[in-house]
Amino acid sequence: MTLENYNYMRELAEKKLRLDRRQEFEGRKITIKDNVINHSDGSAYVELGKTKVIAGVKVLNGTPFPDRQNEGALVVNVEASELASKYGEDRINYSIEVGRVTDRGIRESNLIDLTKLVIEEGKTVSFVYVDVVCLNNEGNLFDAANIAALRAILNTKYKIAGKEEIFTLPLNRENLAISHTFTKINGAIFFDPSAEEENVADARFTIGISEKINSLQKGGNGFFTPEEVDFCAGKAIELREERFKILMDNINS
Amino acid sequence: MRTLQKGSGGYLKMYEERFDKRRFDELRKMEAETGVIPNAKGSARFKIGNTEAIAAVYGPEEVKPRHIEKADRGVIVCKYDMLPFSVPDRAKPGMDRRDIEISQVITNALNRAIVLEDMPRAMINIRVYITQADAGTRCASLTAVSMACADAGLPMRDLVAAVAAGKIGDSICLDLTKEEEDFHEGGATDVPIAFLPSKNEIVLLQLDGKVTREELKKVVEMGKKGAMEIYELEKETLKRRFSNESKS
Repeated sequence: MTLENYNYMRELAEKKLRLDRRQEFEGRKITIKDNVINHSDGSAYVELGKTKVIAGVKVLNGTPFPDRQNEGALVVNVEASELASKYGEDRINYSIEVGRVTDRGIRESNLIDLTKLVIEEGKTVSFVYVDVVCLNNEGNLFDAANIAALRAILNTKYKIAGKEEIFTLPLNRENLAISHTFTKINGAIFFDPSAEEENVADARFTIGISEKINSLQKGGNGFFTPEEVDFCAGKAIELREERFKILMDNINS
Repeated sequence: MRTLQKGSGGYLKMYEERFDKRRFDELRKMEAETGVIPNAKGSARFKIGNTEAIAAVYGPEEVKPRHIEKADRGVIVCKYDMLPFSVPDRAKPGMDRRDIEISQVITNALNRAIVLEDMPRAMINIRVYITQADAGTRCASLTAVSMACADAGLPMRDLVAAVAAGKIGDSICLDLTKEEEDFHEGGATDVPIAFLPSKNEIVLLQLDGKVTREELKKVVEMGKKGAMEIYELEKETLKRRFSNESKS
């Protein structure tokens, strides 16, 4: 990005305007395709504007962790892949951060009841692996990865070796912690940053929200004031409804 | 006595007295000193309860690897590591995914605190080790690092004061211990938060657990209060360090 463009975007932001003519808190269009990967137990392809991600869920047998004998396990991994785009920050660190924040939202909201994933007490439990790969990064990988992971979990159907029936994951659907990412550019706050906006942004703030706030992550080199944090939380609560509808669209209860 | 009452939802509603008898807004006992690593440009040790962090700062120096160099400002490379003997089991030596994430959020906070515009084409190397862990390690690290940076004489906007606030049951608490953090029946929520106190800027904020918007507001307020106390200790420690220097 040239210095001219950089300054132009920051000047626009000061007037609360965006390069792609969106409103301050207008998200980009979300498109979801289910079950795109036939080798996975559940999968989803999500487009958030031009950001494209695929999430795949695999449920496999494993031995429980020594400190949690009667619980299954959840493993979430996000890969900001090299084919997706060039990354300003260190790609691997970025992947880890996105992965851990996505994991935190799903885990802390207790979306999956891990205690129901026990096959044989103390010996065999189910491990739920959620892998998200970014195919094209046009900004806001946090939200795209979160939506793809949630949708893939929602449509997961799996078999357990030695058993006939098909299982679905034990979910508490009211606990869908949906991620909402805000960006702060030159003092102004916007929702759902594009790649260009991420390039010029001072700070980032991701809120994972179900009935309550389940995860927060401040990123970037800038700062937020306590008032701004509260403001973003309020906005996220308002915005959640719309994303929840999109996420649950066509999911049979 | 631990006063624990089961609520209707099956989980603990009230957390009336803390396990270690502290007030809800009380920090654990703190210790801080600078100059613990004479080889480094600046160094500091910060202990809060049973959590201890040691930080060392080297630089500004030549940027290595060259490709991370920035023409208009300095860069910070900060590595956080939990030592193998810092936790009840053994932590594997080297950095895991958690360490990398924490290094990243600490670096983000420092990028705001240190005036990097003053040192183009330079790099500051920071290492922080956790020798003992009892929750709140990323906050203790950040506090230690900010003192070490001041000790090294780097230009800073303000010191960073960091503390973990949180919620157990329905009670908002300050400076959680590991025992409280793992108290899942109570629905423990952990909120590490770091301020540049004199500017009222939040430079690090994370959360995992369950809080409402109103509770979040209270938690942030509580964090601010704790951060101010830590800020005073930091200033005290640094004053001591610089007055000693003038005498010798």
